[in-house]
Amino acid sequence: MTKQEFLERLRAGLSGLPEADIEEQIRFYSEMIDDRMEDGLTEEESVKQTGDPDQIAQKIINETPISRLVKEKVRNRQPLGALAIILLVLGFPLWFPLVITIFSVLFSIFVTIFAILFSLWVTDFAMALSSPGLFVGAIVYFAHANVTQGFLSLSASFVMAGLSILMFFACKALTKFTIRLLKSSAYGIRRLILGKEN
Amino acid sequence: MDIQLKRGLLDVCVLAAIKDEDSYGYKIIKDLGPYIQLSESTLYTILKRLESAGMLTVRSAEHDGRLRKYYHITDSGLARIEDFKEDWKEIMTVYSFVTKEEGND
Repeated sequence: MTKQEFLERLRAGLSGLPEADIEEQIRFYSEMIDDRMEDGLTEEESVKQTGDPDQIAQKIINETPISRLVKEKVRNRQPLGALAIILLVLGFPLWFPLVITIFSVLFSIFVTIFAILFSLWVTDFAMALSSPGLFVGAIVYFAHANVTQGFLSLSASFVMAGLSILMFFACKALTKFTIRLLKSSAYGIRRLILGKEN
Repeated sequence: MDIQLKRGLLDVCVLAAIKDEDSYGYKIIKDLGPYIQLSESTLYTILKRLESAGMLTVRSAEHDGRLRKYYHITDSGLARIEDFKEDWKEIMTVYSFVTKEEGND
């Protein structure tokens, strides 16, 4: 990668930051690459040592306080016209319940997902507990020479043990998947608000 | 290393790197290289923080037909280094207390 390409990719990755901040970052990294080249490295090596521009941009964005990003976003917007303000005020009874509804729906989805996960874990736990219980029951049946019931109880115990182990892994995988999904959707919402394309 | 601890250390390291003479970004990273790992983006954040805290000043000077930023330590930056040395004495006292038991094994 050439220095030019590096700086262009860095700039693209930083879009969303205030223009002055971007310029300052570009100058900083440009100086770094120039100094590496002056130190005897080739352009290619200098850029490589400086790092991956996409990762650097991501790190800078992550370290930028969200208030600064939002402020920049708001600053770039066209100021609200009189009509827009009137609509906003008159529309209050309309959009306010909508906003509340959206948040409530998001919250209830969140609660539902966790309730499902919780109940799955509890079911698994109950199955795991019933297995030794049935096993003890089987011993008692055998002790009373009730062979049929004994075998029935014993096999039920094994089935429960097997099912609970299978379900444990299923629950674990599902929990992991849910957490990943929630994380990426939180990231998605952040991006939606900030409106970053890349 | 603990992230808060490293952050504090890096601040002092960067100040120490410009203590004797003004320095620039690449030279700071190179000088600190043997002692502590520091990425460009981290250095940028530290320099910004130290500048807004008044511990260093920045000037651009022409070098080889291009502009380079030089960082100059201020009195409060020097005071920060002295504070660090004092703090470290205390930490070493605590350290010797903490490791005393281990030494008796």
